[in-house]
Parts: sequence; C-alpha cells; structure tokens
Amino acid sequence: MIEFKDVNVVYPGGHRGLKDVDLTIGAGELVVVVGLSGAGKSTLIRAINGLVPYTSGTLRVGDDVVDPRSKGKLRALRSRVGMVFQSFNLVTRISVLSNVLVGRSSATPTWRSLLGWYRPEDKEIAFQSLERVGIVDKAYNRASALSGGQQQRVAIARVLAQDPEVILADEPVASLDPPTAHMVLQDLRRINRELGITTVINLHHLEMARRYADRVIGMRSGEIVFDGSVDEATDTAIEEVYQRSLTAEDVAP
Amino acid sequence: MSRAPASNQTSASHQDSAGEAVPARERGDKHSSRRPQRPRPAGASYAGLLLFAAALIAFFSWISTSNLRLDVGVARVQLYPAIGAGLVLAILALGWRLRFQAQVVFGLLAVLGFTWWAGSGVGFTLRPLWEDFNRGWPVIQEFLSPNWGFIFRVWEPWLVTLSMAIMATFIGCSIGLLLAMFASPVSSPNTWTSQAVKAINSVIRSIPDIGYGLLFVAMLGGTAGGAGPVAGVLALIMFNIGIVAKLTGETIDSVDRGPLEAADATGSTLIQRNRIAVLPQILPGYSSYSLYVFELNIRASVVLGIVGAGGIGSTIFVQLSHFNYSNISAIMIALVVVVLIVDYVSLSIRRRLT
Repeated sequence: MIEFKDVNVVYPGGHRGLKDVDLTIGAGELVVVVGLSGAGKSTLIRAINGLVPYTSGTLRVGDDVVDPRSKGKLRALRSRVGMVFQSFNLVTRISVLSNVLVGRSSATPTWRSLLGWYRPEDKEIAFQSLERVGIVDKAYNRASALSGGQQQRVAIARVLAQDPEVILADEPVASLDPPTAHMVLQDLRRINRELGITTVINLHHLEMARRYADRVIGMRSGEIVFDGSVDEATDTAIEEVYQRSLTAEDVAP
Repeated sequence: MSRAPASNQTSASHQDSAGEAVPARERGDKHSSRRPQRPRPAGASYAGLLLFAAALIAFFSWISTSNLRLDVGVARVQLYPAIGAGLVLAILALGWRLRFQAQVVFGLLAVLGFTWWAGSGVGFTLRPLWEDFNRGWPVIQEFLSPNWGFIFRVWEPWLVTLSMAIMATFIGCSIGLLLAMFASPVSSPNTWTSQAVKAINSVIRSIPDIGYGLLFVAMLGGTAGGAGPVAGVLALIMFNIGIVAKLTGETIDSVDRGPLEAADATGSTLIQRNRIAVLPQILPGYSSYSLYVFELNIRASVVLGIVGAGGIGSTIFVQLSHFNYSNISAIMIALVVVVLIVDYVSLSIRRRLT
C-alpha cells in the first residue's frame, strides 16, 4: 500500500512538482498515471522511492514512512520498491545476468559485489526473474546486443530480482515501438497479477492506459485532477485533465 | 559592393582552368548580385586593431636588444622588430581581405605578441646552432658511430628500468583509480570529499616527475645509497597517480547517469553502485590510460635514472660523465627501439578496447 498525505514537492528552483497530493494506492493494484509533459507524473513516481525528495506531508510505503533525509532508510525502502525507466538504464557493456544481479545488491555484502562473486541463491533468483520475462537464453549476452524491447525486459527482470512489494515504471514504453510496447506492458500486467505486486506506471497513451490499468490517475500541474476506474476514464474526462481536446496521438501511438 | 566583381573574377578563373570558359563566367555574373556577401566587419573595430598593431610594433622595437639593422633606403630600421611588424601587418591585411571578425584578428595579434615577448625574454635565436657547430662536431661524430656492442652489455639496467615501469604502473594506476572515484562528483560520497580530493590531485600533478625523483632520491639515497630503483618507482607512482586520477576522473564525470540511477533505485550502497554501474563504463578508458602511463614510464624512468634513481638512465649518466658519446648513442638507439615496441604493443591493445 502506498499512501500520500498532503505531499508537496518543491524543487530547489522553487518550482512546485507536487501540490497537496492525497492518494492511496492499495496493495496489488495496477495504477496508470496520465497527464501532459510537466504535469508531475514523474515527480509523483519518483517521490515514492525517494529519487525526488518530498518537502512536506507524509508518504508511506507499507507501514514505513519514506524518509528522504536518511540514506540508510532510503536504501532499505528502495530494496522493496523496484523501478523501470524510460531509457532502460542498463549497463550496456556487461552481461544481461550481471545487470539482473544489480537487483540483488541490497541483499549482497559489499565485498561480494566488489568481486562480482554472487551467491548461488542470488544467481538462481536472477535466472528465475529472466525466465519470468522470457529471455533467460540471453543471460550471458552483452546487454548492448539486445533490442529495445528485450532491454526493457531485462530491466523488469532486474526489478523482479529485488523481490519487490512495489514496481514503479516511469514511461516504460515511451522509447519502444507500439507492438513491443504492448508486450512490455503485458509483462508488467502479468507480473502484477501473478505476484500481486503493486504497480504504478506513467503512460502517454490513453488506449494503453485503459487496456492495462485497474485504475487511472490524471495529473495536471502537480495536482491529481482525476482518479477513477478505467470505465470512468472516458475521453471527456481525460480532455478535462488535459484541458484541451484529444488528438489521435493522445489515444494511440 | 565594389569588391564583388573582383571576387567573381577569381572564382571564374578557377572554372576557366577546369575547362569551362565563357558560360561559367556569365553564370557567375548573373548570380553575383543575389548571393549574400560575408558582412564586412565594422570599420571602427579595424581602426582599433590598427592602433593595437601600432602598439605591438612599438613594443617589439622597445624590447629588442639586437643591434642588427636593416637598410630600407630611407632609413636603417632594427631587423627583428621589422620582421615582427611585417607579421603584424600581414595578419591585419589577411584579416581585412578575408573579412575576419575583429576579435579573431585581435586574437591572432595577441598570440603573436605573447610569443614574440616570450621569445625575446629568453633571447631566443637559432644562431648558436651554426655558430657553435664546430665545437659540437666531435660529439656528433661520436654519436654517428654508435658502439653497438654496448647495447647488449647493459641489458641489466634495462631490466631494472622495465621493472620500475611495470611496478609503478600497477601501483600508481590502482591508487589513481581510487582517487578518481573520490574526485568525481558522480561517484564521490559528497561534494566536500570530491572538492578535497580534486585539490589533492592538483597538487600531486603540479610536481613534475623529475621533482619527485629528486625528492625521493634525496630521502632514500640514490644509486649510490643502493635505493635508486625504489626511489624511482616511488617517483613514477606519484607521477602516474596524477595523470590517471585526472583522466579517469574526467571519464567518470561523463558516464551515462541512467545505470547509476537504476542502481540507486535498487537500494545499492555507494560502493556497490560505483562497482556495478560506474566501473564497467570507465573500464575501456581506464585500461587505455594505464597502458599510456606505462609508455610514459619507460621514457620517464630514463630521465629519473639521470637524477640517481637507477635503471638505464643511471647508465647514461655514468657514460655521459666519461664522455663516452658512442656508448650513449647506442643506448639512445636501443631506447628508441624499446619505446617504439612498447608504443606499438600498447597501441594495438588499446585499439581492441571498446
């Protein structure tokens, strides 16, 4: 469960990223956040794992309050909250398996990380994660040798290796072509269903949001202006969020 | 636009030589009025440049200590300032003809002025090269007849030099990597550490290799005290730390931040993040710098040997004090061969690093 109470984010420049956000995301839900660029979607997601520190209010993940000031607490939190990025953020020069093992960092002693000598159990978890996204045969390939869709699946496997309670995905398909985008979203959806992991995804396209979400959240200038089920997220409702009429580009890529 | 026809003339004559005669010229004229011309810089700025040029020429004449005069018919002017003035006017004329921005011409004049001032400061002239040639002739003759047998007699100091270079490269590059990690704001624990380590690196780098050589030889005793190569290795280590920390630190500054963010988001510690996300990205660059430093070490250890740090440099020093130029010549030839081999091997390894 993720709980925002009057959460504000003020960036050092004075720009307000989030304004008095109140939001509760239940365990096992798949929530899609929509909104125009600059609406605060990324800020919302990154506040949850402390990549963007919130400046006032209370933010809880499970029973623990997110504390951006304590590095140790943040690390403990982040070990339970996985994140998928728009640009995959893999280390392209090393193998797929090594990339997935990054997800085991918080459970691995530093000396083992330094030597790159992971425990067999951790390797097993990494292999299982790769199996779940269907690219276990690429385990010893260089990450740079994979296609965009495959790289994003490696990134999802990296998250799964953390054995997370929450998966955050910040525009996970924005740099993929539509068929690949659907496959990646299907993976996220399936993982959410099979493992019951709470999932929050930022998306650009309404059609995808409606197809994969349990619940849609609309944001505009740092505020949550829409919160409802997929059926409620009609074109009219989203036009209200965007404050303009929808274009074909908004609906589907 | 009085200049336009002139420039057309030149372009047309180019085309003439290419084989197209009259039609090309006609086409050129037809378009000339419509083509944009490079804007002429403001006349006022060039007037300012003329002032600056005059000041430069006066400065040249003022700092000149030479008595050489040049007879130009109406008067006898100082030779060297006259050459300088010629260069200044040439730069001005070229700038005006090619319509350079006034700043560019100013920059060129400033570079010329500084170089001229620096050269006259040390009394730079090539005259000793031919005037003192007779004195150097016997030395050159001995150099031209190297004592080939000597090359193989000094294999032992060569081995010392090589060992010094290898040891220093290994230790220096390891410490350099560590310092680079602390110095770059990307991989450092906080900005304070980064600033402090950067400052330390600058100090280490500001002392040249020979400075460290003299320091360690004085501390440990040179070849005479039996600690020559140790002092040499220590000097090379400091020299290597400076270079590797600087170059690797800059490579770390420019790594892709995405994987770092991802490692942070998994709850990695700083050390884990640097090992997992930073190191793989800098490894090609770092290996390349290490090989480069090894090349430098072979050369630097020769110089260090001369100040008493052992190796082939010490042999050169001994031979020099006995005026055995044919032996030194042989070592120099061997040195060129060794350096070329090391350079070639290291280059071919570096090419394979991606």
